[in-house]
Amino acid sequence: MSLALERQLVLVSVLLLAAATLVQLAGVALGRIAYRPTAGIYAVVIAVLTAAIAGRWVREGQGPFLTFYDILLSNLFSLTLVFLLVSASLPAIRPGALVATPLLLVIGVWLTDMSALAAPLPGAFDNTWLWVHVISGKLFLGLCLAATAAASVMLLSESGSSRRIAVLTPHPQQTEQMIWALFFVSFIFHSVMLVAGAVWAHSAWGRYWSWDPLETWTLVTWLMLGGILHARVTFRNLSQRAGLALILAAFVVAFLTFFGVPFLSIAPHKGVM
Amino acid sequence: MMSLLKNLASLRLTLAGMILLAVLAVIASRSEGVDAGITALPLVILVLNLFAALLTNRSFRAQTGLLVFHVGLLLVFACIGLTVLLRFDGHVEVLEGSAFDAARVETVEQGWWHVNRLDEIELYQGEVRINYLPGLNRQDTHSTVEYRAASGELHRMTLGDTRTARIDGYRIAATFNKGFAILLHWTGDDGSEMLGAVHMPSFPEFDWKQLTTWTTPAGQAIDLELDFDQPVSSDNAEWTFGPTSMPYAVHVSIAGDAPRSIRRGESVRLAGGVVRAVDLRVWMAYQIEYLPFLTWMFVAAFLAIAGLTAHFARRFLPAAARAGTTTKEDALVHVARA
Ligand code: HEM
Repeated sequence: MSLALERQLVLVSVLLLAAATLVQLAGVALGRIAYRPTAGIYAVVIAVLTAAIAGRWVREGQGPFLTFYDILLSNLFSLTLVFLLVSASLPAIRPGALVATPLLLVIGVWLTDMSALAAPLPGAFDNTWLWVHVISGKLFLGLCLAATAAASVMLLSESGSSRRIAVLTPHPQQTEQMIWALFFVSFIFHSVMLVAGAVWAHSAWGRYWSWDPLETWTLVTWLMLGGILHARVTFRNLSQRAGLALILAAFVVAFLTFFGVPFLSIAPHKGVM
Repeated sequence: MMSLLKNLASLRLTLAGMILLAVLAVIASRSEGVDAGITALPLVILVLNLFAALLTNRSFRAQTGLLVFHVGLLLVFACIGLTVLLRFDGHVEVLEGSAFDAARVETVEQGWWHVNRLDEIELYQGEVRINYLPGLNRQDTHSTVEYRAASGELHRMTLGDTRTARIDGYRIAATFNKGFAILLHWTGDDGSEMLGAVHMPSFPEFDWKQLTTWTTPAGQAIDLELDFDQPVSSDNAEWTFGPTSMPYAVHVSIAGDAPRSIRRGESVRLAGGVVRAVDLRVWMAYQIEYLPFLTWMFVAAFLAIAGLTAHFARRFLPAAARAGTTTKEDALVHVARA
């Protein structure tokens, strides 16, 4: 597949996400969860992005692991996929589409603005631990997004700012339970990502930990996730609002770590190039 | 005593320790002058805190998955501590056709308790080949060495991207760093003779500056520049770094004088002797490290993750299953409309 076609496919997925965002907003206006049409669009976005990634993979002879464009592209795919799977199997999370969809759209628009030129992956980097590291990282962020999106809608609905949003979370207690469960699983995957990353870094470039900005912020994110789970047992009377706001804060830090740090430092890891 | 332990086991202290660890980690990674060692303080606080909690908190001990997770964390901390105390990390350049020399190892880090046994390593450098794609993109590395194993046998092995050697407990890994070396023969005016190699800067990283300073056995500092007749590397084609038959000249210059060029087999007179260009070789750089507890650290970390997963299954799954049966979408919309 040519680079031009790949870029067109990305553009199509961005337009689809824009449509899904409109569907969500229309849903709010009508006072209902417009989940089914949104999920349908997600499924098409996943198919289109699968084609784009597969085409790129075949053309470059390597997976999307290295450049910032690679990171955005693969995460747009994985975040959409994980959110769709989670929301399809856990109805309580579906209102989260109201927050998840525009966020995916932002990533998509960002992607269209990046150079898509590939950089070859040095031989030493391609081993099983890279896969474990990357896949668990994507699962972490996807699950954390699902928890955060649902938490944000709950926060909005309880802020009383709009009755239209308030009706989206009719079972706040169950939804909250589900959010914490997702958050906990995301913490497990984050831990796997961290350890697999260290094993991989050791085999790929002889350093299991080098305090590069990405590693440092990943550790900070991990401590934050663990700290928030801890805070819940430390302060048993932690309010629902405070807990959900902490989840949102953790996602913001995770998001900045995944996309902000590599954006600023060009390569995902300082040692990579 | 018990109340002291109880205070030490406070979960608020855990939170404080985690926050301090995060803050110090960011400071250490951002500030050049600050050593990552400062993170030892919150780690020690967390270890004491966790020990105290394990001793005093019965419900904590009763939750097996959670217990395994936290004990796993303790083991990880212990392995980090032992690694920092026992570790060795260094670099060495080894000349093609010659033996590893412990005296040439540059130490990057050495733990207080590390017993240096580098001089027991016996390793010989064979052929080096590193393939590049157009645009000088490094691909696979092949560096053949022979080394004496603990059994006394000589082993031949090709080190590369994923293959490392373990000799006397040290892990030896090929790095991306390598270059050319000029083999020189020195004949002093006093009749002394010497053969040695001058390593030129890393290649192709510094292909534009193959220049180094060398002090002759007579104590004179001279500049040596390696100048190939044609480029040996290529920016826009595939290319392999390794021994080359490309003709070259060595420009010898002494501050203030015009450079004199010699080719292979030719000599030049310098203060106190004559130097002859004998041959061109390659050198390969290795990372040498000793991290005896690293594997155990990874094992402990995965043990902790297993514990965490078990805890999740026990604590959240039953509740999630209950919640899942009552929140069907239709019900949601129904309630929303009501
Ligand atoms: C080092 C000192 C630590 C101590 C003393 C400690 C203590 C505890 C205790 C007593 C509990 C159980 C509370 C209960 O269910 O009754 C707990 C739970 C937990 N801890 Fe720690 N912990 C420590 C460090 C950490 C760290 C570094 C992390 C991860 C970053 C962590 C993650 C967790 C998690 C995820 C839970 C489960 C929370 C839940 O069930 O919702 N802990 N810890």
